[in-house]
Amino acid sequence: MRRLANLNWLGLLTMVGLLGLWQALVATGLLDYEYVPAPSEVAVAAGRLAAGGELAEATGHTLRVVLLGWLAAGTIGIALGLLLGLSSAAWRWSMASFEAIRAMPPICLVPVALLIFGFSIRMELTIIVYAAAWPVMINTIDGARSVRPELLQVARMLRLSRVETIRRIVLPAALPLAIVGLRLALSFALVLAIVAEVAGNPSGLGNAIVTAQQALRPDEMFTYVMAIGVLGVALNAAFGLLVRRAIPVLAGARERSAV
Amino acid sequence: MAVSAATPSRQRRLRPSCRRDGAAHAPLIPPIRGLLPLALLLCVWELAGSERSPYFPRPSTWPAALGDLWTAGALLPAAGATISTFVLALGVAIVLGTLLGLLAGGVRTIDRALNPTLEFARAMPPAAVIPIATLLIGYNEQMKVAVVTSAAIWPILFNSRAALRRLDPVLIDTARSLHLTTLQRARKITFPALTPGIFLGVRIGGPIALVVTLLVEFLTQVDGIGGLIATAQRGYLSDQVWGLILVAGLFSLLVGGLIAALEACVLRHRPTA
Repeated sequence: MRRLANLNWLGLLTMVGLLGLWQALVATGLLDYEYVPAPSEVAVAAGRLAAGGELAEATGHTLRVVLLGWLAAGTIGIALGLLLGLSSAAWRWSMASFEAIRAMPPICLVPVALLIFGFSIRMELTIIVYAAAWPVMINTIDGARSVRPELLQVARMLRLSRVETIRRIVLPAALPLAIVGLRLALSFALVLAIVAEVAGNPSGLGNAIVTAQQALRPDEMFTYVMAIGVLGVALNAAFGLLVRRAIPVLAGARERSAV
Repeated sequence: MAVSAATPSRQRRLRPSCRRDGAAHAPLIPPIRGLLPLALLLCVWELAGSERSPYFPRPSTWPAALGDLWTAGALLPAAGATISTFVLALGVAIVLGTLLGLLAGGVRTIDRALNPTLEFARAMPPAAVIPIATLLIGYNEQMKVAVVTSAAIWPILFNSRAALRRLDPVLIDTARSLHLTTLQRARKITFPALTPGIFLGVRIGGPIALVVTLLVEFLTQVDGIGGLIATAQRGYLSDQVWGLILVAGLFSLLVGGLIAALEACVLRHRPTA
């Protein structure tokens, strides 16, 4: 019962109200764009696409690629981040290179990946992994380098070995920021997956949007766009739930550092 | 504790003895010698690469490819189109984002009413917005500006909302006890107190605006640097692609520098931003 009371009814009502307004505008002909479907038409199209399996297929492809790319980006990002965060020699001798490459907008890789891999899933994965690894890496470096000096002094006082210090002090201290990086990476992964699919990979939700647009089916197009929005919100919520379940201590840290 | 409070010169003297706390005293700006691996990579690329590689043409061929575009009269108008979209869209995003953010930050009911809708709209990737925008507005400058604004507005909106919520109540009491008029209060108290928060949003939103400008040009081939990249990529002119990517990278450095300079100029009166 309390959960129901905590729900933001006002906000949901506003959303429903806006949809109603949209429906009314189209129905009365006030919003006279040729290509704006009424919400009811979008709902009908969504029902048709869901029943026919197209929606599930496109969503499944995008979800699979996003999760796969995110896992790879997370692994690479944390590995590189720990290397550069723990070894100050590695940081001094390569960080400026990484910063210079990072200054390039990540979508600059899209044309290169298209040149090399053509319209394929490898192109899509390359783009996702490249763009999503950066926030994980940068946040892990920051986390590992910003361990409070008192904690390191404690480690020295306890005569912990270098490995023990890293395992018991540096890693736990780096974890909250690394998780912020992973959260950012998840939303980057979805954004870049849609870019890759709109740009040419012939499957997934992004490609479905383009196909619907070219077939002049705005009702189907809006369905896929809504599906992407829902997927984004769902991925973010699932990640939050996972973190809260796995590492309850961090539940508070999330709000503090989210920019 | 004493070490972290020490002056820079003392820190340097103390350093050898606290070497093992390296992380705590590590510099924040990476030293320039860190560029060595990148330079090495480019050298290897130059020496091992071939002139006509379909994917990785030698770095030395990039400027020539850009020169071709320049003499063909394509580079300058494209750069102009990209810059004008970027500036226009960021301007609209700043004005709209600040207004909406202040509205939501100031009036609790409006915030609760709008929040789910805003969260949903924010989750929408720009690449998904582009097909809708082209269908509704067409392939033109307005479409570009609309798409870029819709992506860059969020950090500005959320940061100005947070800035208004964080506003120190003492400041408002001060204004009241000084009997300032509403206009004076806005000019002397509220606005200066909010600028750092709004600028934080612009600092995040500026690079997003540039990336999305390039993206919308790339995907729709409306004129601009992104459109040139798409044309070059479709023609397998890889030297042009790499050269144009370099131009995009320079733009992004320029945008970062300009926003930092603007921020320093606007916030010059305060000791800590």
